[in-house]
Amino acid sequence: MIEITLTVNGITKRLKVEPRRLLADVLRHEFGCYGVHFGCSHGACGCCTVHVAGEARLSCLAFACQCDGMEIVTIEGVSKSGGLHPLQQAFIDEHGLQCGYCTPGFIMALTRFVDRSEAPTDAEIREAMSGNICRCTGYHSIVAAVRRAIAARQER
Amino acid sequence: MSNRPPEQPRYIGARITRLEDPRLVQGQGRYIDDLVLPGMLHLRLVRSELAHAAIRSIDTSSLKELFPAALAFTGGDVGDLAIRAHADMPGAQRCVQPVLARERVRFVGEPVVAVLMEDAYAVEDAAEAVFVDYDPLPVLADVDTALAAGAKPLFDGWRDNIFVQQTRAGGDIKAAQANAARIVRRTYRNQRQAGVPMETRGVIAALDPTGRILTIWSSTQIPHLLRTYIAEEMAWPENMINVIAPEVGGGFGVKGHVFAEEVLCAWLAVQTRKPVKWIEDRREHLIASIHAREHVHTVEAYVADDGKVLGLKADITVDVGAYSVWPFTAGSDPGMVAKVLPGPYELEGYEATYRAVATNKCPIGTYRGVGRPAAVFSQERLMDEIATELGLDPFAVRERNLIRKFPYINVLGYTYDEGSYAQSLSKMRELLAPDIEAARRSRRSDVRTGVGIALFLEQTAHGTPDFIKRRSPIETGYESAKVEMHPDGRVTVDTGLQCHGQGYETTFAQLVAEQLGVAPEDIVVRHGNTTTSPYSVGTWGSRGIVLGGGAAHRAAGLIREKLIAIAAQHMQAQAGAIELADRCAHLKQDPDRNIPIAGLARWAHRNVENLPAGMEPGLVATSFVDGPADGSYSNALHAAVVEIDVRTCALKLKRFVVVEDCGTIVNPLVVDGQVRGG
Repeated sequence: MIEITLTVNGITKRLKVEPRRLLADVLRHEFGCYGVHFGCSHGACGCCTVHVAGEARLSCLAFACQCDGMEIVTIEGVSKSGGLHPLQQAFIDEHGLQCGYCTPGFIMALTRFVDRSEAPTDAEIREAMSGNICRCTGYHSIVAAVRRAIAARQER
Repeated sequence: MSNRPPEQPRYIGARITRLEDPRLVQGQGRYIDDLVLPGMLHLRLVRSELAHAAIRSIDTSSLKELFPAALAFTGGDVGDLAIRAHADMPGAQRCVQPVLARERVRFVGEPVVAVLMEDAYAVEDAAEAVFVDYDPLPVLADVDTALAAGAKPLFDGWRDNIFVQQTRAGGDIKAAQANAARIVRRTYRNQRQAGVPMETRGVIAALDPTGRILTIWSSTQIPHLLRTYIAEEMAWPENMINVIAPEVGGGFGVKGHVFAEEVLCAWLAVQTRKPVKWIEDRREHLIASIHAREHVHTVEAYVADDGKVLGLKADITVDVGAYSVWPFTAGSDPGMVAKVLPGPYELEGYEATYRAVATNKCPIGTYRGVGRPAAVFSQERLMDEIATELGLDPFAVRERNLIRKFPYINVLGYTYDEGSYAQSLSKMRELLAPDIEAARRSRRSDVRTGVGIALFLEQTAHGTPDFIKRRSPIETGYESAKVEMHPDGRVTVDTGLQCHGQGYETTFAQLVAEQLGVAPEDIVVRHGNTTTSPYSVGTWGSRGIVLGGGAAHRAAGLIREKLIAIAAQHMQAQAGAIELADRCAHLKQDPDRNIPIAGLARWAHRNVENLPAGMEPGLVATSFVDGPADGSYSNALHAAVVEIDVRTCALKLKRFVVVEDCGTIVNPLVVDGQVRGG
């Protein structure tokens, strides 16, 4: 067992974990962040994407002990306002989800792209989400959601 | 529906965003893996690594030594618990899949040993300490091997490797053949696929403290059918079983079956008196959950010189894998092809022979459209080949053969309701005009444009007679709903359907809001729980909104009548003069005279002395809706415009156009999403 400190969505905890314990499992079971989903457990689908030290990372490919001392944000903490993040709202408006299982991963993978992009092409948006798989929507409405979220940011 | 007011609908047809979305985009949906029960054991399955083998021995001595806390169960422990899925067709051969293999394994991934521990990580290690010794047997890797003369049957007592073989025919195929100017014959293959929802399958089973009530949480599309199957297979009273499908992360038909793991978890929870959890990993899902398709169709069209198809003959073979799946059975895919192949075309004669062939592969089950995608491919590819052979325009050949008068009784005797096949075709021709021109111009260049179309119809909302013909364990397809208005005027809708992306929480609320004069936000739609909903055969076959939505609409109509009767007495008006809208009952002629629906609802529950004489208290109604005998038919036409570099064969999709007609659209946002996703 290794003793580590994690800060998740602003809450800091000291915990003892098995070295092989996946970050995703610790986020789910120790921090109650059940919005972190396992889709494949081997880094192929992006369902488990979270922000580690500000960057999108796959929490099924990271051991919790590798993240000792780091700040982590999950879907539960992505909105700073307490309401919905503009990208979350855009997913609703554009019907960017059906079953919703992949959605937290998509949002965590795309928030920084939304924050930094001005007028991306469809190809650039698709490239930005190429690490995430959705089986319901065919992606069309997710591309539209990203566009809408960028437009909403620019209007503010 | 008869009792809908004549005014413009407010909610039916409205493009409103989904009520379920705020929780899903915030990660607040709770899926099966999010459920943790005290004292829960995790199940890991030791699965067959061979496609076909006899089990010589199972050695758990290392497991006991290295993991003393682990429990292990083999096929010998579980009695005769099995998946038994048989379609009672003449000559059909019966197979049984034990929930844990005994004596023999028939596909890679077949469950052999169940290992249980409290820690989900440790149990994976523990399962690796189980040694199964196999004697490999010859593998039936494909249909040709399985059907070869002298191939040994996969099951003892079988004549050959055919689960079921049948012929469906109508009209005069001989005359069609005799009168044909030309025969166009082709063979088409459709590869093996898999549904692959983003959330894998998963089951948790637990007994209550009395040991009598068994609760099964499962990522399933068919909660009631699972309850009935477990009740029958385990001889457990059905009123002592609850099945709950929590949030389900996609299904696509894969989760529309009862699986060995579901029965096994229930049995293990009873054996161990502890909650048992099994979450499928992605590798297990891909190898051993359920696969789809893998068809070979040989189709033969008897054609006149002008492109009229007089008759169609088909030979359909599907590699259905090692076992028959419950409830749709091994014959489901090939049988559906034989049924739907005539499609939107007029035929004088039709004959299709179909067979389901057993091989040493993962069983085939339902996946988006079941046999239809393969059938439509063959039907439409053949139309194009006919056009090419006769030097005719592909649109013209289709136009020549289209059904135009409705209702139409097709060559197999199925009654098609109203359709818009010809209109869709001319609409599509208009939409594609620039692309067709571009294709013509590119004929001699290295980068060419191609335009492909596929016209089809889809039968859904099948009535019971349609299921009876299948002779499989799915004997009916009706749906039901219970609608309850509470004393504050808010509404609960309970459906036995299971929503995994279809948007029922929104669309059912729209249907019910239309009837009750409240807003969709006032309505909570609950689904996937056998404890709260009337019986249902579950979500599959595109039947949800037609039958389940229809049942909710009818049940709400009964409550509507009651609310109007209460309001009529209070306002001293005729029932016909009252309208429900904006959360009020008001007079159509004098909308200022109104009474809040919440007030009427309170009387119905709490101040029942205000009700009309003889009226029962309460505002609850249940409705069951069966489909028309031959179901309801929607139609669509899809077109792809592609660019192909003939030097490199590099393909680029330029445009994809859909013309569709599904009848009344409850929510265009949802329909567009389903069509695009499909």
